[in-house]
Amino acid sequence: MADELYLENIDEFVTDQNRVVTYKWLSYTLGVHVNQAKQMLYDYVERKRKENSGAQLHVTYLVAGNLLQNGHVCHKVAVVREDKLEAMKSKLSTIASVHVYSIQKALLKDSSPLYNTDYDIVKTNLQHCSKFSAIHCAAAVPRTPPDAPRAPASAQSPQRQRDADAAGAVNGHGPPAAKPPPQQHRGIMGMFAAKAAAKPQDTHKEAKAEAKEAPGVSAASSKPPTKNSIMNNFFGKAAMNKLKVNSVPEQPKEEKEVVKPSVAVAEPESSPNTVAEKPGKKTEPARIQQKDKKSKTKRADRSDDEEERDPENVKKKRKRIKQLQSDSSDEEADVPPSPTPEEEGAPSPPPVPALKTELEPASTEVSAGGRKRKRKRVLKSKMFIDEEEGCMGKTGCALHSLELTLLLTI
Amino acid sequence: GNDIALRKLSELQAGEKCCVVGTLFKDMQLQPSILQEISEEHNLVPQPPLPKYIQPSDELILEDELQRIKLEGAIDVQRLVTGTILAVYGSEQDDGRFLVEDHCFADLPPPLPWNGPSSDRFVLLASGLGLGSVSGEALLSTQLLVDVVTGQLGAEGEQSCAAHIARVILAGNLLSQNTQSRDTINKAKYLTKKTQAASVEAVKMLDEILLQLCTSVPVDVMPGEFDPTNYTLPQQPLHRCMLPLASAYATLRLVTNPYQANLDGVRFLGTSGQNISDIFKYSSMDDYLEILEWTLLAGHISPTAPDTLGCYPFYKSDPFILTECPHVYFCGNAPHFQSKLLQGNEGQRVLLLTVPDFSATQTACLVNLRDLSCQPITFSGFGADSED
Repeated sequence: MADELYLENIDEFVTDQNRVVTYKWLSYTLGVHVNQAKQMLYDYVERKRKENSGAQLHVTYLVAGNLLQNGHVCHKVAVVREDKLEAMKSKLSTIASVHVYSIQKALLKDSSPLYNTDYDIVKTNLQHCSKFSAIHCAAAVPRTPPDAPRAPASAQSPQRQRDADAAGAVNGHGPPAAKPPPQQHRGIMGMFAAKAAAKPQDTHKEAKAEAKEAPGVSAASSKPPTKNSIMNNFFGKAAMNKLKVNSVPEQPKEEKEVVKPSVAVAEPESSPNTVAEKPGKKTEPARIQQKDKKSKTKRADRSDDEEERDPENVKKKRKRIKQLQSDSSDEEADVPPSPTPEEEGAPSPPPVPALKTELEPASTEVSAGGRKRKRKRVLKSKMFIDEEEGCMGKTGCALHSLELTLLLTI
Repeated sequence: GNDIALRKLSELQAGEKCCVVGTLFKDMQLQPSILQEISEEHNLVPQPPLPKYIQPSDELILEDELQRIKLEGAIDVQRLVTGTILAVYGSEQDDGRFLVEDHCFADLPPPLPWNGPSSDRFVLLASGLGLGSVSGEALLSTQLLVDVVTGQLGAEGEQSCAAHIARVILAGNLLSQNTQSRDTINKAKYLTKKTQAASVEAVKMLDEILLQLCTSVPVDVMPGEFDPTNYTLPQQPLHRCMLPLASAYATLRLVTNPYQANLDGVRFLGTSGQNISDIFKYSSMDDYLEILEWTLLAGHISPTAPDTLGCYPFYKSDPFILTECPHVYFCGNAPHFQSKLLQGNEGQRVLLLTVPDFSATQTACLVNLRDLSCQPITFSGFGADSED
């Protein structure tokens, strides 16, 4: 019988394993509701006492009730040993609840073994510590981004056409915990991007883009910038243009997000921008918007900017196909999911607010920088496997940059 | 009345009865002064912290924008503290002192409309969890508290009551005072290099406790005197990077100290107790509840703030001035639980609440939002010396 089973279990725990069996411990171990666990313990005690009056069983009880103290009513919740149970009950004016707290073979001197047992079992079950509890809170939902790669493809395209009017816009994937690896990569990418930015002919273009992004960057106190800065410090080089470093990684980040369906959180978040283009995504943005901070809107701006650059980058890449064939093909491969929506987005600026139009000229100017950035992206890819860089090896990247420098000197 | 003349200090004439409004300054001999401590000519050993710094020789001085004047007369010098705004009625004496006949404070701020819930809704307030302390006595009580709130403890009736707890507010001092010193100042670096600060373990424990609480009830966490945040008031919220497990839940709210919130239409305002304990040190008032009430009447959360309690140097506006009367005004880390329902002249109804230090008293407070009633809850285990 199922009923008998648990009695045997408890028997085994208490007598054979000489454990302190608290109701919470039993609840987690047997996977039952706490109230049921308490009932089981009570049944066990009753039966054991009936069978064998000389049983070596010590029981502690939980007593809760109202107490009249100093003239006002005080609620008291106490764990007491069996011998003190009646005394405690008589002290309380009204008793709210009495139930078995724990059963153990040995007589306890103090309540620390009880605490330790509970502490251990809760620690091993931290993620679902309320599973067997009597109270459930609907609002207590953990914020974890990778709970579902929701509509990755469709989400990615809206993200591409992020409007600058990301007033509510999001993208703030709230919990950074989910995305440390991609961000680190972006950080590395950002570092390289910063190096590229050092090229004189691009600095003024970068500066323009930066001017647009600087407010966003400074405002963006979100995790991505911090991660980038960590990476930057780690490499210790990208000190020349801190802002640039921060801003640029935002953009590659956006791209990375596009190509990585797993980090889909930011994507739906970007969708508010694309409300004009993709009405279907409205529900997601609305949801994400609540969670995101204002600073994220700037990020959306930057990503928007970045998207604008992508078509230019792709075009520029095509020009130099003869030198960097493998590269450009890879980069184009990487870009394909994005450019198509981008191209849709680029020709359809009308629903876009002024900010986006401002970004567009900026993006064209930054295209050269973007070009370098693109290259850096390839370079970065050597750090981790990307579908875009399938054939790109380390040596390939090195060659790539060398050719690039050659090209620039020409 | 309108027949009393309101004067500035610069306009005072000897012998004329008038009313002056200004800020109090209490000149105290025992007040720790950093200048005296570092002054070489005095050769003073820094004074050890005393529970109270009041002395019979303290003097009150009233300051307004331009001048200051010594006060004497029907005014309780011991009771008042620096920084209080008050109006005194009296006249200036020939020796330049102001003889006070009566004084009054700003009195209760204007009331807020009441939008409280119609059914029983509870808020649990606890403070001074004191994690990381050497003694583990309060640990079981803390666990019992968590169990009651999350609905694991107690029979069905108790659990259904606990289900009505709408919010838990932890009012400061989540870490114990023991976590403060790291001995890095006293010991040599080679001895302390590998030792971890005690607060690291304590914060991990806090994270686990908060995680258990957050899975079943929204929690507002206020920092306190011993918590890892800034020292000056207003203290900023604890950073969520310290609580990785619990931060994943949206029910965890890390808030500032002092904290003001609207819970179900009821306005809560409270601190972690630093303001009240500071006034306690410099005033003859002994009762935390009395001091709490007095700050409400004086219209300022922490009058001693820049003087003896660290505070951000606000110069344009003072956020600690009470402009509206809260419905629940609490302070954490008090020695005992006390509560009082104060009725004001303009219809204000305030529940004054001193939340006791949990690590010492194992008591938390449960406030019923419907009728602003309050009840303490005590948790206990049994020790080797089983009393009761």
